[in-house]
Amino acid sequence: MNTRIIVKLDAKPPYIVKPVHFEGLRKMGVPQELGEKYYEQGADEIMYIDIVSSLYQRDIIFEEIEKVASKLFIPFGVGGGVKTIEDFSKLFHIGADKVIINTHAVQENPDIINQAAEIFGRQAVVVNIEAKDWGNWWECYTDCGRIRSGKSVLEWVKEVEERGAGEILLQSVDKDGRQRGFDLELSKKVVESVSIPVVIASGAGKLEDIKEVIEYAKPSGIAIASLLHYDKLTVKEIKDYLRNNGIEVSK
Amino acid sequence: MNSVGVINYGVAGNTHSIKKALEKAGAKVIIINKKEHFDLVDKIVIPGVGSFKDAMLELKNDDLLVPLKKAILLKPTLGICLGMQILATLGFEYGKHDGLNIIDGEVKPIQVNAKVPHVGFNVIEVTHSNKLLKGISSEEFYFMHSYELINYTNITSLTEYAGHKFVSSIQKNNIYGVQFHPEKSRDAGIKLFKNFLEL
Repeated sequence: MNTRIIVKLDAKPPYIVKPVHFEGLRKMGVPQELGEKYYEQGADEIMYIDIVSSLYQRDIIFEEIEKVASKLFIPFGVGGGVKTIEDFSKLFHIGADKVIINTHAVQENPDIINQAAEIFGRQAVVVNIEAKDWGNWWECYTDCGRIRSGKSVLEWVKEVEERGAGEILLQSVDKDGRQRGFDLELSKKVVESVSIPVVIASGAGKLEDIKEVIEYAKPSGIAIASLLHYDKLTVKEIKDYLRNNGIEVSK
Repeated sequence: MNSVGVINYGVAGNTHSIKKALEKAGAKVIIINKKEHFDLVDKIVIPGVGSFKDAMLELKNDDLLVPLKKAILLKPTLGICLGMQILATLGFEYGKHDGLNIIDGEVKPIQVNAKVPHVGFNVIEVTHSNKLLKGISSEEFYFMHSYELINYTNITSLTEYAGHKFVSSIQKNNIYGVQFHPEKSRDAGIKLFKNFLEL
């Protein structure tokens, strides 16, 4: 099976930004242009996350999302500030294929995962995990890596699978934006804990990092941001490298 | 000529994506919200995001079920993902539910010892070429599903996932179905939509 190469767009509308450790935001570009750029480069999917929506407790900005969606003919996952079934519904209607949820499900209402899966199908519900490494356990954080939940990542991923999540996006608060490699142990443990696909984010700094985490943890996909935003590599270069190293990726 | 009706049922449809891709392929798209709209179109697309149970329920609640069954028999129709699955006799997602009963078959959890849902680009192996798959042999299409259609008589292509082959497209007379998402499959998907418009 092909390992999916996904591009993650962290948005602070109207810009795509890139935080380091989920802080210190830098402007990377305009959502629609970046979405189109990575589509042209051969991304398998785009995941767009409004990283300040939950933190600022404001509504989802649908206009920006619709603009990105209008240029893509690949799957488009959208998250950030999702709280209700109506949010899910609206996002699907403006062009999202999957909806990504974290804060509301972890901190307030995990049942929303069950409800959304039953209405929209499991494959359309992605749970985003922001994992913080405490040495002997990983804790789920929310609101862009700022707020603790007290929940264990390894227990939460099993719970969300049971509740009907179709996919997990695994981010690391410690590794995100640093471009110094993935949290390998966390990745492997999460992939092995569930039978739904896991997409690993946070840490790609060079081609070898990506190869290493795919070989070690065997995730279904890798989500990349900084490495691409800073034009250090293109999606095509990443895919060519992986293919040449015996890892199956789509054309 | 080529006006295509995309069924908009309930809260779950991804009509936007499909409309956009069909327009790119050259279609005039009309969103079908009520039964009168069926008269305005030459062809029909049944999209698919949601669960089998909800899709059938929403079609009933929106009074689209009977007119859809009637229209399908007359106009070239393409079911996409869940839109293909509900063409079957029975579905087993969140309980046992009647489908549109146009294709003999049942929809069951995909039988595979690997991560489910099956998500990502995968190739189709054409077993019976037809007009819809014209010029398409081993292209990659985007899949995103936990269930498969069990059918033996209407298969036009198969796809392999972790050693298991499942039905990835079907045809019965003027009715076509694809398990994958042409609207999310780059140029290959647009090509398939162009073929559909030429039917």
